[in-house]
Amino acid sequence: MEQRLNRFQDVVVGTSGYSYVEWIDAGFYPVSTSQKAMLPLYQESFRATELNYTWYQMPRATAIERMCARVAPGFRFSVKLTKTMTHEVVDSRWRGEVKRYRQGLDPLVRSGMLLAVLIQFPFSFNRSIHHRHYLAALVEELAGLPLAVEFRHDSWACDAVFAEFEQRKITLVSVDLPPLAYLFPCLAVVTNPGLVYLRFHGRNIRGWGSGSMQQQFDYDYSDEELGERLEGVITPMAAKAERSALFFNNHVRGQAPKNARTLMAMLSGQGPAKKA
Amino acid sequence: MERSIIHLNVADFAVAVEQTRNPGLKGAPVIIAPTGAPRAVVYDMSEEAFQEGVQKGMPLGRAFRLSPRATLLPPCPNLYERAMKALISKTLAYSPRIESGKRDGHLFIDATGTSRMFGPAVDVAWRLNREMKTSLGLDPVWSVATNKLVAKVATRLAKPFGEYIVGPGEEEAFLSPLPLEIIPGLGREDLLRLREFNLSRVFELRSLDLAQLETAFGKRAGAIYDGIRGKDVAPVSRAAEERECLGVDHEFSEDTNNGACLKQGMHLVVASLCQKLRRMGVHCATLTLVLTYSDGIRRYARMGLKPATASDFTMFRQCLPLLYKAWNRRIRIRHLRLVCDRAVPPDPQLDLFDDDTGKKKEERLINAMERIRDRFGPSAVAPGLAFYSAGQMT
Repeated sequence: MEQRLNRFQDVVVGTSGYSYVEWIDAGFYPVSTSQKAMLPLYQESFRATELNYTWYQMPRATAIERMCARVAPGFRFSVKLTKTMTHEVVDSRWRGEVKRYRQGLDPLVRSGMLLAVLIQFPFSFNRSIHHRHYLAALVEELAGLPLAVEFRHDSWACDAVFAEFEQRKITLVSVDLPPLAYLFPCLAVVTNPGLVYLRFHGRNIRGWGSGSMQQQFDYDYSDEELGERLEGVITPMAAKAERSALFFNNHVRGQAPKNARTLMAMLSGQGPAKKA
Repeated sequence: MERSIIHLNVADFAVAVEQTRNPGLKGAPVIIAPTGAPRAVVYDMSEEAFQEGVQKGMPLGRAFRLSPRATLLPPCPNLYERAMKALISKTLAYSPRIESGKRDGHLFIDATGTSRMFGPAVDVAWRLNREMKTSLGLDPVWSVATNKLVAKVATRLAKPFGEYIVGPGEEEAFLSPLPLEIIPGLGREDLLRLREFNLSRVFELRSLDLAQLETAFGKRAGAIYDGIRGKDVAPVSRAAEERECLGVDHEFSEDTNNGACLKQGMHLVVASLCQKLRRMGVHCATLTLVLTYSDGIRRYARMGLKPATASDFTMFRQCLPLLYKAWNRRIRIRHLRLVCDRAVPPDPQLDLFDDDTGKKKEERLINAMERIRDRFGPSAVAPGLAFYSAGQMT
């Protein structure tokens, strides 16, 4: 058991976002918790989180600074790249957006709380020449920041991409997704020994293409499914990396924190958490 | 429970709607103003024209001196109203609590408690923006906050495009460095007074306590005190919209300042408004008349009706002075709008004496006219007052 704990001591587990009112109903937050009080409560359970709102809105230094002040020094943030650089890219504007993004992120970089910049591309972002050129230019503009790139389209699952990432020390995000054609597969490929990154999106096949987050990410991982990922993906990847980050995005009905706690229990060798 | 309020704002709404009809106008200076009126003023303008110095309400001649390349378009209020309805119908899929202006591109959506069905409010706002872009060709600025005031300030900051999320608990810090001009509820005179005190930013005004604000603003001090701290408990309400629904319009085929023609228009709007009131089973207690002159200037007049009524004849008799109150310029009039500001249930008290010669007779006549209109259309029958021919005495 001790061996197991040592093996996973640099693994951080968290959820994609923390500010969900429905997690109060799910019992993760106490009744009548205000949204402002959620982050301090969240860090009682987890040591890291993904900031999702930065996908919708460019991060602002003042707001990020206030957020840093509300968490303990060891807490880490993985910050999603804004949609104007991943989903709604305008050729004439995106470089300016990168500059604004970097400025907004500055307090996190200075405080050492930045775990990674999460660049999540949509399914439509396939491995075309145009997209390859864009990706190369984007990572160049973001140079100096710890980058983790998540693809949805399976055309990016090839050795040439992995080799490029390895050379540039960019983390390829492993994803747990529904088993649908053309979706990026769950691979245990380590391209950056500094950080491996796995995102659990749930396996809701029917909800995936619904266009509604509440259906897309409505999934509760069973202990067996988490166990398989632990043995098949997390363990071999963590063995090759200094740090691992595991995030659950199946936020609907508080399933993400529940599954994250189960996985943490497994990592510490205590087995799945017992049901209340 | 903390609220989640989404504010959508289509910047330069009239121009944005015109651009969906004619994409060639995008990126060019556009001015919307009544054509053919020598003293017309700007109704709306594109961002490009605004950057050149054009502003709403500016005389058209001056606007063209500032933006000589601008394309001039006449206003089409009906088109903007249809576009507004389309915006509302998109948002109704996400919340029943929506508040909108008449044709100004502003929408407040209360998304509180909808996260289980639709996900976080920010995602709803983003999806609405995307739907409006793809299906209507409009790109609203959006914001999410815990109340209407903060949400409105946030969209003002994000304009002309983009988004702004103000997290719960961040309201005070968000407003703190902003200029006072951006805070809703502070009018021009308030700002002039504050400037006399050398106060121009929110954090500066916050240094005054409630008693000090009362000295300057009287009864409004409490609202201002809360507003600059990002507190606003006003609900997202359809009241304003419903009030607007109890209004009727009449556009003259030609701009006019002929008294008989105006009286005829007045009668038509009164008849139409009373018909709406009767169908809703309510009486009108307060009326507002809006006259739009050919140069775009509007004049308002308001009055209480005693007793409250839904009878064409009674209302017409009572509200004729309203026309003379608002008709105080020598410019011709283009548009009449009559709005029932306060609808009340009919008085349940019956008359002690049955007056068969007056009120009852009018009531029977109105009912008969209504039946004819229902069967043969709204213009099938009208009293003589509603007919005007040139040469009539004014």
